[in-house]
Amino acid sequence: MAHEVMIVGGGVVGMAVAYGLARRGRRVCVLDEHDTALKASRGNAGLVWVQGKGAGMPAYAAMSLASSRAWPGFASELGERTGVDLEFEQPGGVDLCLDDDEVRSRCAEYQALYDTPWAREAGVRWEYLEGERLERLLPGLGGDVPGGIWTPHDGHCNPLFLLRALYSACLALGVDVRAHHPVASIDPGEAGFVAHTSRGVVHAERLVLACGLGAARLAPPLGLCGRVTPVRGQVLVSERLPASGRLPTPQIRQTASGGYLIGDVLEHVGHDTRVTLDTLHALARRAVTIYPDLASARLVRSWAALRIMTPDGCPVYEASRRYPGAYNLSCHSGITLAAFHADELAAALSDDRLTERYPLFSGGRFDAQAA
Amino acid sequence: MQTCEPRETDRTDGSHGRARVVVLGAGPAGMAAALRLAEAGVRALVLDQARAPGGQIYRQLDQPQLDAAVTGKDYQRGRSLVDDFMSAAKRGEIDYRPGTRVWWIEALDDAQNDAHRLGVRGHDGISRELTAGRLILATGAMERGWPFPGWQLPGVMQAGAAQILMKQGALVTDTPPVLAGNGPLLYLLAWQYLNAGCPPRLILDTTPNLGLARTLRHPLRAWRARGYLAKGARMLAALRRAGVPIVRGVQSLAAEGNPRLTEVRYRLRGERDEHRLKTDWLLTHMGVVPEPQLPRGLGIEHRWHETQQAFVPDRRDDLSVCPGVWLAGDGGGIGGALNAEREGRLAALALLAELAASAPGGTLDRPALVRESAALRRRRRRDLSGRRLLEALFTPPLDWVERQPDETLICRCEAVSRAQLKVALAAGPAGPNQLKAFTRCGMGPCQGRLCGTHVSRLMASEQGRDMDEVGYYRIRPPLTSITLGELAQAPSDHLTTQSQ
Amino acid sequence: MLKRLESATPTPEVTITIDGVPYQVPSTLSVAAAVLLHQGVAGYRRHGAGGHRAPLCMMGVCHDCLITIDDAPNRQGCLVTVEQGMRVCRQLDDRGCEREGRDDADL
Repeated sequence: MAHEVMIVGGGVVGMAVAYGLARRGRRVCVLDEHDTALKASRGNAGLVWVQGKGAGMPAYAAMSLASSRAWPGFASELGERTGVDLEFEQPGGVDLCLDDDEVRSRCAEYQALYDTPWAREAGVRWEYLEGERLERLLPGLGGDVPGGIWTPHDGHCNPLFLLRALYSACLALGVDVRAHHPVASIDPGEAGFVAHTSRGVVHAERLVLACGLGAARLAPPLGLCGRVTPVRGQVLVSERLPASGRLPTPQIRQTASGGYLIGDVLEHVGHDTRVTLDTLHALARRAVTIYPDLASARLVRSWAALRIMTPDGCPVYEASRRYPGAYNLSCHSGITLAAFHADELAAALSDDRLTERYPLFSGGRFDAQAA
Repeated sequence: MQTCEPRETDRTDGSHGRARVVVLGAGPAGMAAALRLAEAGVRALVLDQARAPGGQIYRQLDQPQLDAAVTGKDYQRGRSLVDDFMSAAKRGEIDYRPGTRVWWIEALDDAQNDAHRLGVRGHDGISRELTAGRLILATGAMERGWPFPGWQLPGVMQAGAAQILMKQGALVTDTPPVLAGNGPLLYLLAWQYLNAGCPPRLILDTTPNLGLARTLRHPLRAWRARGYLAKGARMLAALRRAGVPIVRGVQSLAAEGNPRLTEVRYRLRGERDEHRLKTDWLLTHMGVVPEPQLPRGLGIEHRWHETQQAFVPDRRDDLSVCPGVWLAGDGGGIGGALNAEREGRLAALALLAELAASAPGGTLDRPALVRESAALRRRRRRDLSGRRLLEALFTPPLDWVERQPDETLICRCEAVSRAQLKVALAAGPAGPNQLKAFTRCGMGPCQGRLCGTHVSRLMASEQGRDMDEVGYYRIRPPLTSITLGELAQAPSDHLTTQSQ
Repeated sequence: MLKRLESATPTPEVTITIDGVPYQVPSTLSVAAAVLLHQGVAGYRRHGAGGHRAPLCMMGVCHDCLITIDDAPNRQGCLVTVEQGMRVCRQLDDRGCEREGRDDADL
């Protein structure tokens, strides 16, 4: 049976879209790379996060909020289909400000972002907290942390279980998922697209690029935007500790199984995926500044992964004008946006109405900015 | 004399240092390397996790707990090496740091002299950073994890653990143990228990019946292995005389009991019914494999070794694995203690030859070093050729893990069963890392050391790929345990935080 | 349980406590060996997945010897040599087993 849609990329973006398309009855094939390929989906901290996203692009801020609101339903349906508990929780979250400069800049940023008509209409709530009010949300918070911004919209999940559940659901829906099929090139043909892989060619009527940093190579020949750059993050995880009731923060969160994930660094180092000693030290120091009681906690492991960053940090969702039926999806925050990708975005792709529904998210916006 | 003084200088905060030559591990390979370096006037910094030198094989020889008649000559043989090493350390010719664990290792991109960075945690619990010029890894071997139903029960222990308990404190099990598995160490332990007046209850031998046929095909190897074979024959004869039953052709094994082992079940080749045996102790052995963490942590390529049934680091002829790094001893492929000692010397000689080349006119005589290496290498080759025969004799049952029933835990740490892996494998994961992400197999505190190879093997047979293609887990720092507080003490640059 | 052979070389002893009870042990032992000598394998520690575990390898690999030493939980008992006055506590309650290292994301 011929594939209607071929998705390049078996990460959390590609698999969420595959899941959404398969639920809509599309015959989908996913081409993924080898085990040790760059995999942001396996390297992130699992935040389902709204606050702070979308500076300069309210449509993205609204999209993040909508996705976070769709997450409870998404998680429960996916959980029921697969039996995988995504460990999803939405208790609200705090973006910590670690010094006074951060307090000032963060508050200014949030005012610009959320003291706006769309945000009021959408019901965005946020508040800068410090002292006892903050400590109530983050018991045991260190005295050197001046404050943080709270919103009720934030949460977290187990990103590996999310990916696993998406695989499992896709397989059950008949999606043809092929590992070890790195795509060398794509030819637009008469009746669709041909992907050349190390294990032969794959045909489909339509093509979706969800290949992270691979878009830089694969998108431009199809008339799609390939403007993505790697931004490295590093994450530490502690041994399991008793549940603390502390709200998640981008800097540190306690997982459902008890370990603390410590992260939130942005490093512009090209495609270097190594963990570095200096960042390890710095992250550990930050962790014990935030929660001094973690000084005795053992580090279990650390890893680094590359984010997919577009020039403005907001997603690219676009259809090729030169080759109808070819689409490109480039974004970070694939966890937060998973609920949106699996539903609304998949629907727009299925109906071939991507440009119509998300005109602001075309890669053409970067050309306009440059002009 | 060439300026070979180490330039180990503590910074004012006492948390950093540098050393020109670092040897990791103080087993036979590490001790021999450090001694040979010391002989040439190069004072190596030797880091070892144990309290005293010797590694696993020569453990506790500084304070032997048992008479040589119990432990045997091979153990006692390490005595002079340990003594020489300690004397050299006392004279200051070796900078020996016991109780030190390496939790970080990396090759630096740019440096010439300080080419590697180590994070070490000392006996005092303080973490230090260290830059090192040249490195000799002598990190040794570990016992292969050998899964069967109930191997996680208290009362099931590896044969090597039982030997360690004997060496450490003359400790033996209070009731006669059942021994099960395959390989020389299993019989050595049985023989040592016998010598100690505690004969094992029974030996369950799982060796597949291919061994002998292979042996006879290689008469030269058999001749070279005659020492090993004769030793084995003597032990077997002693066990037989003492009436220790040896059951061959064991095809399956299981341990039962709650909360601890009370019964062992096993089935023999060609038989339908299981045998049952009450016992408090089951001591198992399925061979030893290179300890992977440090070499893999340094990014050294590994290759699947069919007769050793293990991933083995890629080494060049001079035992180097990457610029400025040599790997000596069982960590580079199992060769035994004598071979490890030779390899330690060989690595030291290669390192000295490099020093001589980089500083011509010094006291190091390069041609002499080369001659010494050549002689050692010949002896090593001859000995290893005999050893290959032992490997063939004691090949583990190849499909053991594939044959395991659903309930067998493959990953002890995260309690991941064969059944869970079956489901995950059926979904066609890209490789061991994807499988690890989906099942947590290998994500626990042992960092996959007990399950890694089995997972690769299950995947290889399920997907019809070879072991090298399937590969292995990525190694994630820290290589050994460290607390966030210890890690936080060291200096760092400002972090760039995420704002988008 | 384990027993010490009568033929063992006389060795100085130290006093440690295991769950508050003092014991004399040869100074060459690791903490794990001392616990196996005096308490046996049953109840060495509880595992997060349920059931008890005891040391498998005694050489730093398996991490089934995790134990609390001088209030520091999850030390590898097989790698720490006993010292005079050392306080050893087995990790048999929920908190002990909850402290097992696990994480939530990895490449």
